[in-house]
Amino acid sequence: MSIIELEGVVKRYETGAETVEALKGVDFSAARGEMVTVVGPSGSGKSTMLNMIGLLDSPTAGSVILDGQDVTGFSEDERTEERRAELGFVFQSFHLLPMLTAVENVELPSMWDTSVDRHDRAVDLLERVGLGDRLTHTPGELSGGQQQRVAIARSLINEPEILLADEPTGNLDQETGGTILTEMQRLTEEENIAVVAITHDTQLEEFSDRAVNLVDGVLHT
Amino acid sequence: MAWRNLGRNRVRTALAALGIVIGVISIASMGMASAAINQQASAQLGDLGNKVSVSAGEDAEENGVTQTQVERIDDLVSAGTVVEQKSDTTSLSSRADTVDVVTVTAVTEVAEPYNITSANPPETLHSGALLTNQTAETLGLGVGDPVKYDGSLYRIRGIITTTSRFGGFAELVVPLSAMADRDEYDTVDIYADSGSDAARIADRLDSEFNSYGRTEEKILEIRSTSDAREGVNKFMRTLKLGLLGIGSISLLVASVAILNVMLMSTIERRGEIGVLRAVGIRRGEVLRMILTEAMFLGAVGGLVGSLASLGVGAFIFDKITQNAMDVLVWPSSKYLVYGFLFAVFASLLSGLYPAWKAANDPPVEALGE
Repeated sequence: MSIIELEGVVKRYETGAETVEALKGVDFSAARGEMVTVVGPSGSGKSTMLNMIGLLDSPTAGSVILDGQDVTGFSEDERTEERRAELGFVFQSFHLLPMLTAVENVELPSMWDTSVDRHDRAVDLLERVGLGDRLTHTPGELSGGQQQRVAIARSLINEPEILLADEPTGNLDQETGGTILTEMQRLTEEENIAVVAITHDTQLEEFSDRAVNLVDGVLHT
Repeated sequence: MAWRNLGRNRVRTALAALGIVIGVISIASMGMASAAINQQASAQLGDLGNKVSVSAGEDAEENGVTQTQVERIDDLVSAGTVVEQKSDTTSLSSRADTVDVVTVTAVTEVAEPYNITSANPPETLHSGALLTNQTAETLGLGVGDPVKYDGSLYRIRGIITTTSRFGGFAELVVPLSAMADRDEYDTVDIYADSGSDAARIADRLDSEFNSYGRTEEKILEIRSTSDAREGVNKFMRTLKLGLLGIGSISLLVASVAILNVMLMSTIERRGEIGVLRAVGIRRGEVLRMILTEAMFLGAVGGLVGSLASLGVGAFIFDKITQNAMDVLVWPSSKYLVYGFLFAVFASLLSGLYPAWKAANDPPVEALGE
């Protein structure tokens, strides 16, 4: 049973007089507990595809089905709610807030929500990525690998169904990247969630259950 | 969170807050200056505003206001106190000193016209006398001492405190019986409840005594200071508006500074706000965060500004009314509260556009930065 599905997704951008077709009818799906890598050269439409799965953007044609529900026509506010409940993001350049401590950064997605207290879960997640002794450090006091671990913990705070990773090892050296991927793999297995990662990194492919190739807006399995 | 965001660019935040501080200082000090001037003017004018003075006019047959006229005035004035009096001058001497020119006023009603300090100030004067404080001091006299006027001795029953600067002259107040040999009164003062009442009474008396059919005669001279007082009040209001206007302009400039700071900081954090939106922070929550930042900025600026204004206000009051503590009374201290509220409000208003802009930025584009 797939948790996320793209059916014939087309995305066109209007840039001046020119129309660029970034995705040309993509069919894709990922299941719980599965790690899928999307590889392809720059400009192939990887980021656009991730934006579709991450409900950050809506397709020009085709449909996006999240956990059996068609979310294609959702408004920005509805998509925000889905992102909050179902999705976790890990970015290439970590995107942690510099003035918050590690544990506050992990709590960030639920910070405005007064109905739940995620502090204990945030501490637990940080301990699980090996940062139990760095809880009150700010991003400036952490190494790149440590920052990415904080970002992974943040992506899991709201107990998502899908983790989306955009070049998660892009800013890390080979060895650190390897450790991060091991951590990510272990955590996603523990939490039984789907991982969709886009990358150039062949190392990432080794960790994934399967890899798909996106070339010029067309997906090759 | 909002607080820490402000802490990230301290210099910029401090400059924006400084703008607010200056704005609040200018608006609050302008307000307090007008309050100080107003207070001082009221103190100097005293309660002249509600007083109507009647004396014999140039066309009068008698050399003063007659008993009949006093009775008519009494009938016409329903609300207010009518005080008829006769005057004279004398010289007073004691073992200590001599005061050559002392105004002597013969009057029964003393509660309204005079501010008397004594253990038991008399409402009406049928025996004894009152003396102004400066004269009593010069002569070394006090309550219980005798003074001599027109061959009779009067025991001092109270000392008149002269608050008004125009009233600081030597005056001896005796009962009307002291001048019983004269029939007419020199002046009749009417103390009305308010300045506008006084003006109405003055008009009423003028039409009653000074117009017979078509001819206008000056039987009685009627003077009311309420007209002048009204003019002063009007001037005060204009002055206050003008001063507050100048103050508001500087606060307006400060709001533009806040707008600029908030806009710059949201543009700078565009990517970061995009991340917030991506991880599921709602638009309203982003809006609230940035508005809170603006409000903090305004509140801190407003607080510092109000405290500084308190100092400026104390200085102004010290210079104008010689009492720096007057700054704490509500008519003046309210401008501190207004200044603070105005600062918070202006900051919120200037935070609105940057907050709205940040909240509605599509996350994909913001992340692409």
